[in-house]
Amino acid sequence: MGIVSKIHVRSRFREMLVRLSAYVTIVVALVATLFPIYWIAANSFKFDIDIFAVPPEWVPRNPTLKHYDEAFIQRPFLRYALNSFLVAVGTTIVSVCFGTMAGYALARFSYPWQWRRQISFWILSTRMMPPIVSIIPLYLFFNYFDMLNTKSALIIAYTAFNLPFATWMMKSYFQDLPVELEEAAMVDGDTRWGAFLHVALPLARPGLAATAIFCLIISWNEFLLSLIITLTEQSQTLPIGIAGRVTQYNTYWGEISAAGFMACVPIVVFAFIVQKHLVRGLSLGAVKG
Amino acid sequence: MVGSASGMSTAQLRPGGAVELWAERHLRVLMLAPTVLILLGLTIFPSIYMFYAAVHKISPNPNVPWDFVGPGNFVRLLSDQQFHVALLNTTLFTVVAVTVEFLLGLGLALLLDKYLRRLTFLKTMLMIPMMLPPIAVAITWKLIYEPQFGVLNEIMYRLGLPLQAWAGDVDLAMVSIIVADVWQWTPFIFLLMLAGLASLPVEPYEAAALDGASSWRQFWDLTLPFLKPVIAIALLLRVMDALRLFDLVFILTGGGPADRTKVLSLYIYQVAYRFADPGYAAAISLFVLFATIILSTWFMKRMRLAD
Repeated sequence: MGIVSKIHVRSRFREMLVRLSAYVTIVVALVATLFPIYWIAANSFKFDIDIFAVPPEWVPRNPTLKHYDEAFIQRPFLRYALNSFLVAVGTTIVSVCFGTMAGYALARFSYPWQWRRQISFWILSTRMMPPIVSIIPLYLFFNYFDMLNTKSALIIAYTAFNLPFATWMMKSYFQDLPVELEEAAMVDGDTRWGAFLHVALPLARPGLAATAIFCLIISWNEFLLSLIITLTEQSQTLPIGIAGRVTQYNTYWGEISAAGFMACVPIVVFAFIVQKHLVRGLSLGAVKG
Repeated sequence: MVGSASGMSTAQLRPGGAVELWAERHLRVLMLAPTVLILLGLTIFPSIYMFYAAVHKISPNPNVPWDFVGPGNFVRLLSDQQFHVALLNTTLFTVVAVTVEFLLGLGLALLLDKYLRRLTFLKTMLMIPMMLPPIAVAITWKLIYEPQFGVLNEIMYRLGLPLQAWAGDVDLAMVSIIVADVWQWTPFIFLLMLAGLASLPVEPYEAAALDGASSWRQFWDLTLPFLKPVIAIALLLRVMDALRLFDLVFILTGGGPADRTKVLSLYIYQVAYRFADPGYAAAISLFVLFATIILSTWFMKRMRLAD
């Protein structure tokens, strides 16, 4: 056997080894990723006695909807979910409306003294602000205006970090659109605002949808601000409801598994809807996937 | 290209009312103003208000007037052991968690990039953890770490290893938090690195292959420099997120045992609500705010992210 073919065989073998290890890694990563999600789902369908079973019951033997009944019918988890939903929708509408206009302005217009750059930068930096640092003033502020424990207070607080996100997302989508189309519309007699409304906005529709879905997810998931602002089930969101069933004396495993799993379901659906926009959404438009 | 459009704003106007004309002429200001005003109101104003709160002793009773204490709350930061512990824990968590997530995410991306390009569905499955509500993630891991009937101790038992209290153990609590965080956020690094790898130019690699460069050299001299901007963004966002860790700790350990997982966010929360001392909490918050502003500004300026 010549030396050339020996090298050839060795590299073929190496390639196979790499391919095999890649497939093994994919399987391991999938199991590691999905097992915790499966586990919370599985436990939500078990009777308490089976949740506490040692060794653990890998597949529920006596599946039951008992905990769903406890959480969503007997306890106010449906109400929490509704609050979460309303707050998420309210925040999304406000953030996407204003964020789209601001994003468009920052993508298209020029401002004196490098303001375009400065304002973009400042808007991004507000997104970097940890929510914990704003809870004291927000709490005192909402307390003063008697707005604690209201959904409007939550919408205002959530807008603080969704608006910068929406602005940067939309800015990045508008920057991708060719400016010539808007110029052509204006040559045809459209106003500047008209060019935005009739040309740029329809073209940016996929980006708009992705931005809205990300805003919904961010608000749906938020915990800390809601923990500070809400007090009763009139405004408490789903994460607060779940955390409330982990007490010093008892953890209601079945109930929180059911509610936790239900909190994840819409997110997983959304994740698949926006899968093409994940990279951009998670990097605030900085990386275009 | 970006700025040039503004010159056209007054070029061709349909006949309209005076108000419309005015609005059209000031469009660039009007479109930006709501966002700027809202964000000013929601960030700058609270920051100023927080400074005002930080120089007062505030009673939880709203009828008791605030007591001016000057820099007293800031002086307290210097001698407050709990604050130092929280600062240390936050730093430890951020450095370890982000490093592990970065190495794991980058490694996985390099290994799997070729194989996952067309498997979009599978890729999205791997991305699910980072989208989930942190509270749901926290209770999921609470269930896994549970010392009596948790899955992890079952695995330890089968392997013949000693059972552990995990989140309840002084030495393992922080590790438990980090593992849960790594589970949730490694996909984020992985996703951004895959995006970075997908946008690599082909030509330099062909040239390198012709020159007989090893794959190790190609990684150091080509892949890593090309990925640098994406790595910078990924790290910036992860670090900023890690610094605000709250939900996982709140559910899994409550800051314990023996304050081993007490992070800054949790400490501020406890000072403000459990110890009912919003003035001092405001002082700590200001410290965290300035630290993050300095850190993120330095990072963003360095990476020229605003461009």
